[in-house]
Amino acid sequence: MLLATIILAVEEDPDSIALLPDAAELIWGFFAFGLLMLAIIKFVFPKLNQTLEDRSAAIQGKLEEADSKLADAEEAKRRYEESIADAQGDANRIVEEAKASADALRAEARERAEAEAQHIIERAQADVSAERDRALQELRTQVGAISVELASRIVERELDDATHAGLVDEYIQRLSNQN
Amino acid sequence: MINVIAAAEFGGEFEGVLEPINQLFNFPPIFELSLFGLDLSINRTILIAWLMMAIVAGVFLYGLRNPQIVPGKFQAFLEMIVDFNRQIALDIIGPKGLKFVPLLTTLFVGIFALNIAKITPLLMLPPTSRAAWPIFLAAIAWLVYVGVGIKEQGFLGYFGGIAFPSGVPKALYIILTPIEIVSTLILRPFTLFVRLFANMVAGHILVVITLVTIHVFLPSPAGWPIAAFAFIASPLVFGFELFIIGLQAYIFSMLTAVYISSSMEAH
Amino acid sequence: MEGSLNVIGYGLATLGPAIGLGMLIGKALESMARQPEAAGMVRTTMFIGIAVVEALALLGFVLAFAL
Repeated sequence: MLLATIILAVEEDPDSIALLPDAAELIWGFFAFGLLMLAIIKFVFPKLNQTLEDRSAAIQGKLEEADSKLADAEEAKRRYEESIADAQGDANRIVEEAKASADALRAEARERAEAEAQHIIERAQADVSAERDRALQELRTQVGAISVELASRIVERELDDATHAGLVDEYIQRLSNQN
Repeated sequence: MINVIAAAEFGGEFEGVLEPINQLFNFPPIFELSLFGLDLSINRTILIAWLMMAIVAGVFLYGLRNPQIVPGKFQAFLEMIVDFNRQIALDIIGPKGLKFVPLLTTLFVGIFALNIAKITPLLMLPPTSRAAWPIFLAAIAWLVYVGVGIKEQGFLGYFGGIAFPSGVPKALYIILTPIEIVSTLILRPFTLFVRLFANMVAGHILVVITLVTIHVFLPSPAGWPIAAFAFIASPLVFGFELFIIGLQAYIFSMLTAVYISSSMEAH
Repeated sequence: MEGSLNVIGYGLATLGPAIGLGMLIGKALESMARQPEAAGMVRTTMFIGIAVVEALALLGFVLAFAL
């Protein structure tokens, strides 16, 4: 009530600041502000909210992508390290195998060489003894024959010393020619 | 009311006085217009208000016509303004306040734009220093928070909650009920109105006095010291007014949020 | 003596809000200094309080011109 009185009093006094709104200003203001609010609510906020959602989705997506990329990278690193370890192991194994096979080859070769050498020695010994036996055998038979021949010659004719000597020489000569 | 006193004695040459004070605020119509028996004449205040509203709407529609996921400077600035209001809504109302962000943002940028006309060269008159605008804005706030209260608590629940706050001895209702009703339903919008209105009126008078002082005392050498003082003071006055302009827009937006929040929960 | 009684009324009307603002801001600063982590909340509440108290002074100011 008091307020109404104040406002009425104000309205009647042209010298004072008006506390009562001007109808024209109120109505035009209503339209202006209504249009502003309409523009902001209808056109600005839907887009803005859409953008904010898109942005958070994009950030979320980027984070997930980064996570998966990190996991991928770690997986790749792990595999790489594994393969390096494998390769190292392979190399070690290959070297070991090579060493072993080289050792085996060497041992085998030596063995074979030794065996061959043994074999050769044995064969040579066998040859030698066989040769000796044959030589002895031959000698024995020849000695008998020679002795018989020699004796027959001696018996056949009386020989002087010179003839004797010549005979022996001739014999030896023939002996050496025979051989 | 405001006599530019002693201007002549100190070398001023200003003949007129700023009396009545309403001269500073009430301007004659530019276009006479009358519809349905209502006087809808367009005066300077209305033109300024339309211009500021158009600028704000244009800035927002242009800046956010095609919002990018990675914002540019302009878009980031507009988003910062919206985010400021979102923070107000979240801090004061809570998660339910998000649907009031468009309203709070419109109030904030609208009031800021209307107020800034006070220190905008060539305009130099805030439409909010006319009673119509603050009353209109306060009415919007009142309608929204009463509407939210009725929607959230029901008609009887809301007005009953205002009239008979719980947790009070029954005898106290004799005193409390009128106070609560008056303070919630009348004083709240009235203080919203008066705060904005009075700040803008006071600010406008301050700016006018500062600038008129320069104008009045400049012509004769005897008045130069006073003119120089006013000249040096004017940027400070403008800066202070800028602070008041932002503060009033912020407070209006924030108090609307406070009132909405108080309507949402029972007393 | 010339002048308006309104101006005296306005001068009187500023006294209460001045005391109120002083106490309000002082207390707010005190609690901000005591609990810096609650400064944001205190500041918000302080501005609401300032707005409420200031309305009285501004009411006086406007009525001084309006009446």
